[in-house]
Amino acid sequence: MKARAELALVACVSGLLGSAAAAADLDEQVLMRLLASVERASARFVETRHSALLTAPLVSRGTLLYERPDRLEKHVSFPYDERIVLERGQMTIDNRTRGRKTTITITRAPGIAGLVESIRATRAGDLGALERFYKVEVGGNRGEWWLRLRPHDQELAEYVNAVTVKGAGPRIERIEVDERSGDRTVMEINEEFR
Amino acid sequence: MLAIWLVACVACGTWLYRNLSVTTDLTVFLPPSATPVQRVLVGQLRDGVASRLILIALEGAPDTALARASTKLAGRLKTRELFSSVSNGGPGALKKERELLFAHRYVLSPAISPERFSVAGLHSALRESLELLSSPAGAFIRPLLPSDPTGEMRELARLMIPDGAPGRRHGVWFSRDGARALLVAETRAAGFDVEAQRRAIQSIRDAFAAIQPEGGRIVLSGPGVFASQVRSTIEGEAWRLAALAAVLVIAILFAVYRSAVTVAASMLPVATGLLVGVTAVSLGFGEVHGITLGFGAMLIGEAVDYPSYLFTQAAVGERLDATLARIGSTLRLAVLTTVFGALAMALSSFEGLAQLGVLTIMGATAAGLTTRWVLPALAPGVFAPRRARAAPFDLSMLATSGRGARWVVVLLVAAGLAVVVWRHERLWDDDLANLTPVPEAAKLRDRALRNELGAPDVRYIVVARGKNREAALQASEAAAAWLGESVARGLLAGFDVPSRYLPSAKTQAARRAALPDAATLAGNLDTAMRDLPFREGLFAPFLDAVERNRAGPPLEAEALRDSMLSLKVESLLIRDQQGWTVLAPLRGVRAPEALSLAASRAGHQLLDLKGESNRLVNSYRDQSLWLIALGLLCMTVVLAWGLRSAARALRVLVPALAAVVLDVAILLLLGERLSLFNLVALLLVVGMGLNYALFFERPQGDTAEQARTQLSLVVCGATTLAAFGCLSLSETPVLHAIGVTVALGSVLSLLLAAALTGRRGNPV
Repeated sequence: MKARAELALVACVSGLLGSAAAAADLDEQVLMRLLASVERASARFVETRHSALLTAPLVSRGTLLYERPDRLEKHVSFPYDERIVLERGQMTIDNRTRGRKTTITITRAPGIAGLVESIRATRAGDLGALERFYKVEVGGNRGEWWLRLRPHDQELAEYVNAVTVKGAGPRIERIEVDERSGDRTVMEINEEFR
Repeated sequence: MLAIWLVACVACGTWLYRNLSVTTDLTVFLPPSATPVQRVLVGQLRDGVASRLILIALEGAPDTALARASTKLAGRLKTRELFSSVSNGGPGALKKERELLFAHRYVLSPAISPERFSVAGLHSALRESLELLSSPAGAFIRPLLPSDPTGEMRELARLMIPDGAPGRRHGVWFSRDGARALLVAETRAAGFDVEAQRRAIQSIRDAFAAIQPEGGRIVLSGPGVFASQVRSTIEGEAWRLAALAAVLVIAILFAVYRSAVTVAASMLPVATGLLVGVTAVSLGFGEVHGITLGFGAMLIGEAVDYPSYLFTQAAVGERLDATLARIGSTLRLAVLTTVFGALAMALSSFEGLAQLGVLTIMGATAAGLTTRWVLPALAPGVFAPRRARAAPFDLSMLATSGRGARWVVVLLVAAGLAVVVWRHERLWDDDLANLTPVPEAAKLRDRALRNELGAPDVRYIVVARGKNREAALQASEAAAAWLGESVARGLLAGFDVPSRYLPSAKTQAARRAALPDAATLAGNLDTAMRDLPFREGLFAPFLDAVERNRAGPPLEAEALRDSMLSLKVESLLIRDQQGWTVLAPLRGVRAPEALSLAASRAGHQLLDLKGESNRLVNSYRDQSLWLIALGLLCMTVVLAWGLRSAARALRVLVPALAAVVLDVAILLLLGERLSLFNLVALLLVVGMGLNYALFFERPQGDTAEQARTQLSLVVCGATTLAAFGCLSLSETPVLHAIGVTVALGSVLSLLLAAALTGRRGNPV
């Protein structure tokens, strides 16, 4: 009885210690290093916008492609065909359904830059880039973490309340954006490393 | 005599004190045949928008600190009366403008067409809105979607905030590398109003000093900043060098005369000349141009020599009247040659040149009269030297060496002419920019800042005209059409036109006619929305806005008042006597020839501000050249008449002209190019050279008189060399050019006059 109680206590304590250790080792720096270890990633995604403007959630699907450190490609294949490529600070939007291509220098559009960086910089583990737009907060453990980004950039804060990224290990699983308008977008990501 | 002089001086002084207005208005330098385009150009140089911009960069601190400083600085400057606008890209910036654009979006957007509001057009716009909602831009288009489903605000933003606009960090404009926060201030005062620009600049610096960001620096640039820097440099240098020159000249005169009174008296003629000359110009033209004042003061600089001739020619114990009896006619001729030399200029149709001519004529005459009548009357006995004075060296050596020296001179002049002919293509400096004392580093910084800010590069403007406001706005729309095509063809990066902010009544009417009535639009929208997931009634604000724009009054300039939009319209749409002028400043011009062709095809004109202003100054220079040649002819006639002999006139004229040829040749060999400033300086060289030669050529009685003549000329040469030698030390190109030319010219004139005109020891 005593032995079992002791065992339970030890288990309990070690469990506490374990979670304490996990919490301690998951600060921003650790999470960023974890994320930065990925060289290339590809993923399928499903993005859903919940909006008061719409009678039904707006769903789009496609693939994401990332190459360390600053190339990100979002290819929407449904319900229309659009490729957005972010590379070296330039964002090119190529809408093949409409046959229209536009290029934006990211620093000239700080709002969009902030949102795009929430994905690109998180994937790259680039804390400096995140902190240019957001106050960064980290929680959970290596096995299951979250990253809350609250914009301090005034322009971005006019439109966005918070971006929450959830993941496991080096994997990003879900990005949720809370907009000031009350709209919410959720992007579910299914990453594969190659 | 003294009384007349005193009354004249006091009258002139009082009049000037009450009425003198010095202007820096460039229109004085416009030829009378100026085209409307040239007038536009000068207007732009004077007070165009580009001339009012002050570009501001904050650097040398972390970007967060710079962003805070940028916000505070913009906030402080906006409260100052000196600025009509201050932008740092911050939030809240352009709030009023955005509201105006939003309220009138259906008459301002060039994308308005009947098709856009048909079922198909609306369906396509709504589909696009859905795509945008799920794109990274979704969060940003979401708030406006119910009132602007066709995206007119996006259309307007694309037009009015070109991709040339700077990037932002922490909500304010930053350079691409993030090292500098950027702001643009537009002064109320015109760019040429150097005093006001200086106040504006000081106010920016003060505001920045009061903010004291952590270790940051402020860098300012722009035409007004340059102008005030240049003015400071010139003023600072001019004062320093003038003081140095004055000390040297006084020292030389004192060394010769050993009398403070005599030295003081020798300043009277030139002072009187300047006073009378400026009064004459002021009376004749109503105002005196700053440049006239500067050049005029220089041209009558030879009047400093008049009393020197008088004092040094006086024999021991001789009264000035007696001296004047001997040298009076020579002195008179010296003054008359200057007066007649400037006569052609005074008759010029260029107001600037005419002012210069009048100032020279009246100034030289007054100085001459003062020397002739006032100095002797002042204190006839005081100035007589107590003992004989002699030149420190003997110039007659040159004359006595005879034919040898003459042949050397002939060869030198021939060589000089050869140099001028050889270098004739590089004789003139055609680039105005080379004359501004703005350091190269500052020019580069300006270009870099301009680039980052996407500010117009102050060089190319398309000009279109119209009889009235409406015609001008229609011309502006025509220009926008071909300029848009040219942008697509890659001939330029972008442009601005007034019709963008205020479309012509015709275009507004066409756009309003394209808007369907409320019932039709609501029906079309219902049909278009049928298979799309938008909530019913969502687009009510859109229906209201279209109806308001359709049925409401047209957009008038009045509605834009007190906004940047009105500022744009006012600065790009200008009324003058002949009608209305539209200005379309261009950005990133890559093919000026092709643009010029396209412009003329549309009945518009591409104006190259730099080229045009260079052309303007060059035509001024060419005109001056003709008038100076004409002046030389007049001088020759006066000499021949005064000396009663063409041969003697030639003997006087040749050394002066030879000095000019050698002067120009040496300047060219030194790698200098000639500008308007050198030209005026050369005119002074001719005037002085003639005086030297006149005195050398004068029949002289005894060796004592010869010695006195030597002394006169050495004193005159030395004072000129001292004064203009100081000027040649200047870092300001203008002052340097004048200094070198005159200092060199005075030495050459003196030597050549001695060698070619100097009389041998035996009296004639």
